[in-house]
Amino acid sequence: MTNTARAGQTLLIAASSMFFAAFTSAMVVRRGLSGDWIAPPLPAWIWATMLLGPLASWLVQRGQIKSAMAAGAMLVASQLALLSNLRMAVIGEAFCAVLIAAHAAHAAAGVAALGRFGARAGLFWHFVGALWIYVLFLFGVWA
Amino acid sequence: MTIFSTDHKVIGKQYIGLALFSVLLGIVLSLVMRFHLVHPDAKVKLFGALWPDGAPGGQMTPELYLSLMTIHGTIMVFFVLTTAPQSGFGNYFLPLQIGAHDMAFPVLNMLSFWTTALSLLTLLAAFFVEGGAPLSGWTAYPPLSGLGRITGPGQGLGQDLWILSIALFCVASLMAAINFIVTIIELRAPDMGYFDMPLTCWGWFVTALISLFAFAVLLAGGILLLLDRTAGTSFFVPGGLIVNDQIQTRSGGSPILFQHLFWFFGHPEVYIAILPGMGLISTILSTFSGKKVFGYKAMAIALLAIGGLGFVVWGHHMFISGMSPYSSIAFSVLTLAVGVPSAVKTFNWLATLWGGRLRFTAAMHFALGFVSIFITGGITGLILGQPGLDIYFHDTYFVVAHFHLIMGVAAIFAIFAGLHYWFPKMYGRFLHEGLGKLHFYMTFIGVYAVFVPLHFAGFVGNPRRYPDFKEYEFLKAVMPLHIGVTHAAYFLAAAQLIFLFNYFWSQRRGAAAPANPWGATTREWRDD
Ligand code: HEM
Ligand SMILES: [Cu+2]
Repeated sequence: MTNTARAGQTLLIAASSMFFAAFTSAMVVRRGLSGDWIAPPLPAWIWATMLLGPLASWLVQRGQIKSAMAAGAMLVASQLALLSNLRMAVIGEAFCAVLIAAHAAHAAAGVAALGRFGARAGLFWHFVGALWIYVLFLFGVWA
Repeated sequence: MTIFSTDHKVIGKQYIGLALFSVLLGIVLSLVMRFHLVHPDAKVKLFGALWPDGAPGGQMTPELYLSLMTIHGTIMVFFVLTTAPQSGFGNYFLPLQIGAHDMAFPVLNMLSFWTTALSLLTLLAAFFVEGGAPLSGWTAYPPLSGLGRITGPGQGLGQDLWILSIALFCVASLMAAINFIVTIIELRAPDMGYFDMPLTCWGWFVTALISLFAFAVLLAGGILLLLDRTAGTSFFVPGGLIVNDQIQTRSGGSPILFQHLFWFFGHPEVYIAILPGMGLISTILSTFSGKKVFGYKAMAIALLAIGGLGFVVWGHHMFISGMSPYSSIAFSVLTLAVGVPSAVKTFNWLATLWGGRLRFTAAMHFALGFVSIFITGGITGLILGQPGLDIYFHDTYFVVAHFHLIMGVAAIFAIFAGLHYWFPKMYGRFLHEGLGKLHFYMTFIGVYAVFVPLHFAGFVGNPRRYPDFKEYEFLKAVMPLHIGVTHAAYFLAAAQLIFLFNYFWSQRRGAAAPANPWGATTREWRDD
């Protein structure tokens, strides 16, 4: 990977982290302020998707870009399936939907970047995988 | 010059062109507002023709005033002050000043510009849709901005377009920020350390760092607001609202939460507008004093300090939001702390001038004007940074006067200074010096004449964002002041015609410039 590619991805990761931090802090505040918080119901299979990000990362490291993209696409597909069951009028589910959709956008971009740049876009993909684990713990454990 | 060029110089000029178009439109809108404030009952055929619903029979409605105000503020902050000093000058001169052949990601750079252009078109489209442009100001506070058409004509599609425009602008600015930072980190000439960079580059660097974090948060806030409007969520919409006699069903949202998200971006945004100018002014003062910048390192560190502190002072925009007095004190102390690096900069500028062989070119005039305006506008910042005073001044014309001087006018003086300074590099010709100085004196007098009296209107408690003062007995006394301000605004706007003429005339007819006309020491003037 060239230095510019690494630096560019690092900064993109910084911006994306800030984007998710903003949603997270909004959620903490919104949850704390009103008594209408109900934990979003998430299916148990969601925990299995946690492995898809690291799996794709591992495949990227081994140079199997196509398979990595397939794992990434599966992650996006499962996120879309989750989204269809969330109700926006219930605040906990709305936050859940926002974070999942925001992550799905990143994951889709990550898959596209793997297709375009191959292993050079690996750094961003590793971040996407870690970010999904963060989102899962946020809702699965904290919320 | 191809339209979708990836050449940093072309993109720089495109950004400057976009800002020039925007500032002219912003000025026209401000003149219409100033006219309306002193002739609230006037029937103007032109208004009726332009806005059949907003000004039936030529009589401007309060809603139209508010929508002009919203678009004026949004255009000026985003499409003028955020584009010209950073993306305009920065794109053109950053690579030249650090010895790079272009920006790090030229295609991304092209995409940034065109996303910005699309964002501007989206904003302006709001004028032409059903209901017109939004009313909720450049800050778009909910609940007004969160409930849709029921809260006013422009609050339907117009407000949606506004949010969409800002979201696009965020994406464009994030792409630009990444490009600037990578260019500085990776493409500096091998012999150039960070503390060898001209202060202009430091200005662009810190601004890009701020943009990276600030715009990401605004984007998040904008998305949540859009969902409140379109998807039935209640992130920001509180319960128990009755709007136009209709009970609103949503509940639990917090308008204050939006304010936090907005101002976490909003305060750094004012530094995004001013820091590139600060770098530029340092260079210009030093060039035309024939001296090095006094305290170079302190100047660079002060830029970093201002940028960093900018992220922890946002609460000073929310002193009246009911926050705990302890938070107020913390935000107040931090806000006043920004005065320290700001004072470092001001004193170093003065020390740069001290004992120098000053050359009073037009660029130097605008640079000195910048320092003057920066001090005038900065001092009222110290007043507004104190909760006890801000609780009174908040939402009065005192605030309007303060932010126009420190953010609007100061940054615009830096843009004028930069254009006079770099025009020879950009077009091989000088801007006409005599016209430039005439433009400077008229503008300098004009801005003080417009904005200083508005502080006094603020003392009286004259509220901002009011389309019509005649309904209020206590404001009768300030009407003469407003009449004077409106005339000064006409004068100020007329002065800008001189610049406009100079800018286009000099591109073809200006005196030919040698390679390094000002005897500057930075790299862009070496032949490339
Ligand atoms: C020709 C010079 C200008 C004049 C005469 C002018 C005039 C005005 C007026 C009359 C208002 C509405 C005040 C109210 O009703 O509360 C306003 C608001 C505003 N102006 Fe300007 N303005 C000028 C230049 C600028 C510049 C250069 C900026 C760049 C920062 C700027 C930024 C704003 C903003 C942010 C608002 C607030 C909008 C809001 O309340 O949401 N203006 N201006
Ligand atoms: Cu502020």
